[in-house]
Amino acid sequence: MYRIRFHGRGGQGMKTASRILGSAFFQQGYEVQDAPRYGAERRGAPVFAYVRAARRTIQERGIILEPDLVIVADDSLVPMPAAGVLQGVTPRTVLLISSGETPETWRHRLNIAGPLLTLQAEAAAGAEQHFVGTALAGAAARLVGVITLLALEQAVQLELAGLGGETLSSNLDQALAAYELMAPQAGLVSEGEALAAAAYQRPDWVELPLDEADAAAAAIHAGATSVEVRTGLWRTLRPVIDYQRCNRCWWVCSEFCPDSAIRVNAEHFPEIDYDHCKGCLICVAQCPAHAISAIPESSEAQP
Amino acid sequence: MTRTLITGNAAAAWGARLAGAEYVPAFPITPQTEIIETLAGWIDAGEMECRLVTLESEHSMITAAGAAASTGVRVFSATSSQGLLYGMEMVYAVPGYRAPFVLVNVSRGVQTPVTLEPDHNDVLAARDSGFLQLHCATCQEVLDSTLIAYRLAEDHRVRLPALVNLDGFYLSFTREPVEIPDRAAVEGFLPPYDPETTRFHAGEPVSQGVVVLGGAYYSYFRYEQHLAAQRALEVYDEVAAEFAQQFGRSYDAVETYRSEDAEIVFFMIGSFSTKAKDAVDRLREAGQAVGLVRPRLLRPYPAEALRRALDGKKGVAVIDQNLSMGMGGVLHGELAGALYGRAGMPSVLASFIGGLGGRDIAAEEFYEMAAVTRRACREGSTPPPRLLYTADELRQMRKLQAVAHAERMEGKQ
Amino acid sequence: MSDETITLYKHMKDLPSNRLLGTGTPMCAGCGGLLAIHQAYDILGEKTVFVNAAGCMTLLAVYPYTPFRGSWLYTSMASAPAGAQGVRDALDIQLARGRIKPEEDLQVVVLTGDGAAYGMGMSSTSSAIEHGLDFIYLCYDNEGYANTGQQSSPATPHGARTSTSTGPQGFGGHKKDLFAIWAAHRPAYVATVIATEPVDLARKIEKAKGLKGSRLIIALSPCPTGWDFDPRETVEIGRLAVKTGMWPLKEYENGKVTHTRVPPKRAPVEEYLEKQGRFAHLFHPRRNEAMLAEIQARVDDYWAGVEADHG
Repeated sequence: MYRIRFHGRGGQGMKTASRILGSAFFQQGYEVQDAPRYGAERRGAPVFAYVRAARRTIQERGIILEPDLVIVADDSLVPMPAAGVLQGVTPRTVLLISSGETPETWRHRLNIAGPLLTLQAEAAAGAEQHFVGTALAGAAARLVGVITLLALEQAVQLELAGLGGETLSSNLDQALAAYELMAPQAGLVSEGEALAAAAYQRPDWVELPLDEADAAAAAIHAGATSVEVRTGLWRTLRPVIDYQRCNRCWWVCSEFCPDSAIRVNAEHFPEIDYDHCKGCLICVAQCPAHAISAIPESSEAQP
Repeated sequence: MTRTLITGNAAAAWGARLAGAEYVPAFPITPQTEIIETLAGWIDAGEMECRLVTLESEHSMITAAGAAASTGVRVFSATSSQGLLYGMEMVYAVPGYRAPFVLVNVSRGVQTPVTLEPDHNDVLAARDSGFLQLHCATCQEVLDSTLIAYRLAEDHRVRLPALVNLDGFYLSFTREPVEIPDRAAVEGFLPPYDPETTRFHAGEPVSQGVVVLGGAYYSYFRYEQHLAAQRALEVYDEVAAEFAQQFGRSYDAVETYRSEDAEIVFFMIGSFSTKAKDAVDRLREAGQAVGLVRPRLLRPYPAEALRRALDGKKGVAVIDQNLSMGMGGVLHGELAGALYGRAGMPSVLASFIGGLGGRDIAAEEFYEMAAVTRRACREGSTPPPRLLYTADELRQMRKLQAVAHAERMEGKQ
Repeated sequence: MSDETITLYKHMKDLPSNRLLGTGTPMCAGCGGLLAIHQAYDILGEKTVFVNAAGCMTLLAVYPYTPFRGSWLYTSMASAPAGAQGVRDALDIQLARGRIKPEEDLQVVVLTGDGAAYGMGMSSTSSAIEHGLDFIYLCYDNEGYANTGQQSSPATPHGARTSTSTGPQGFGGHKKDLFAIWAAHRPAYVATVIATEPVDLARKIEKAKGLKGSRLIIALSPCPTGWDFDPRETVEIGRLAVKTGMWPLKEYENGKVTHTRVPPKRAPVEEYLEKQGRFAHLFHPRRNEAMLAEIQARVDDYWAGVEADHG
């Protein structure tokens, strides 16, 4: 069975990517399971989706714990423990990261020996609108080595039928180009084995103790603990204040920041809390002095 | 202490009054309404220091009850049937606050069709909610159970809300002699409400009832409610023992009546169980070794005490005043689960459905249920489930149908 | 706004900078509802207990993280005002009996979306006002069941595309006039606000805070996800809602409705509509002149009525 996990951010089309790959396998005669997973977080937050494909009925359910292929749409997610990109990765797992950096850089950074590939997939708006996920689905189709170009094409057309002419053809181009690009690595991903029952690690079940009611209620006995959640990781664009141009009317950008992520310092300058700024860029739009600009987050510039 | 003639509803109201309930969110519904009217009357007359607020629905009423208990006051409320069902979202929600209060339910059959008289489908819909459940057979027990319920629910080891159940009409509107304890004696038994740490006031922030994402975290909080409910079994025994010492009335989690040497026992909850006691006496006079086993406590389920009570019996006639469509009696299934695979347990659990919508259970029917169960034990086979329903009742039913369908029948002629 | 009102907030620079609402909430980037809540919370202060109904803001507190420095109680979609009743009554009982000190008292604030306020929770809200419950109700109105993906709600405007109104005419119903429904109960105070007019919002929250009884506030909350616009546009779109007269800023007190911002020359509604994907079908592939005229006419009618009242 093939077990494939897609990691990205809400809005990058991970669900669609998993469905394109799922449909391509299905066109190819495979039994398929595909599903997205998301929690409380919204657009920009880490999400993942997964695909299983096999020549027999798939009985497994839920999250893939030991993937054969991990695809990452946003390289800033890789070092983020909460995103779980590297969860269950073994030396035989193939990693495909959408990144401008080389595989060597990533292999060194992550200190992993297994196969690792990069591909710079980017979203585009306007007439040429396409999603990061479409290219990655095309790349994945080639990496498993059992999906034909025709099956991929049919899958893209099926899954993106609702988007209409230009968008569909733009996405299709992306998928097919990525498929071609991965030709040298065709078949790099192999099917994983099922967990054997003959010898297994016993689950360390415990007797749940009866705890005090106040600890055992879903209640939080503290204030503003949410500051521990680093929503800054959602950001793909970073607002940066040019203090030369800032005229210290901090009440504008600070008041209009939905996330309370702009504070005023002792010199009455606004300061952006990059641990929590989600990158909505309202401050960029509202700054009367045009002193705030948006720059892309690079993978080195983690908050 | 005075002994006086009062209804089951008045007994429930006395329970709330003596417990020093400070807040009563209310909504009227037959056959419960008399409880809130009685409390309102006392409050208006200055005899009870309490605030009663009529909400616009039971859903709101139970929300307000849980919210007020979380804020730090002793709360009492009461409902029945559709009202309990209307509030069911919150019946399942508020136990998770771990802020105890007492809710009396006056059982009444649920719609459709609408009816007024009792069966236990209403309260059994709350079975898996996290509320503890105490089921009463007499008006005295209603008052006493309300007091016991507060002690149990508020115990530091439990902290879950409790439902006290009484049958509509058969107890709610029926007067019986009830000993009303003195307030001072009750104060000795039931200390003031301690809201512990979950209490809204400035200076100590609490976020209560928050979202928990992730199956393992969610499982923890849900299972903790189960563990607390289970711990309530031993706490109940302590509380009941203390109650007996203070007031001279004993309420074991499982009431047994002439069951020690019995071969066949009736198994049921609620007010009809006193009729079963009568039947036991008559059957004993007829030379039959029959007894009664009645769980007072339905949640937590006193499985161990039931196994002790039923050890060595030949057969059990389980009388369910409820109906799970497509399955049968709820108590029957639960008892089978508690006994299955244990040595010494009765081999025959006969299932009888009776008393739906307040339908009476006649003495002869008790005798016959005992006979059917005895025969099954002899033959070594479990009889099919039986609805207590007579040929005459079916004839009467047919007559009503003839009226209800008159036009259609005429048309056919 | 009447000049005799004494206020701390005359200009944006007078607004508090305490930022009581913690960072790190799971709301969408650019959330107009969160914007209103953080502004309101700075004025309400820590001595509050929010009683929440099912909606986007359910997810403000996900164990073990809460953004509140004060307290919070989650109830259900239909019954947050009843939860407020229980909390308020229990606080009053304890105050009367000396079990809590007056300085430990809390302002009880119901926080719900439009799904609860305009629909499922209306019965319990009506009951709370009828009881004269001493509480503040803050509705973040994002004009749809946004938490589940923007299905149409009783607050969805006419013609808007939602995930349950995807046809060429959009949503066929008309946004309910909740302000009028609430005001008909004759509570202590009713107001509409929007976080993109923060001084107006602050003065209304300040006024509500100073009053007793039921005080109800509806905050139109531009929603980048549900209304389909770039998150950086949240403030601009909110301003256009006011400039076009689509969202009148007003308050009700002592039987009288006062408009706190009367746009001197209203911009055409399409300036507001065309910036949002949920109205794109009114402009592309061709302009739906009839629908645009109908929406404009409704707004014009409304303001004609206002001018008649004041004239």
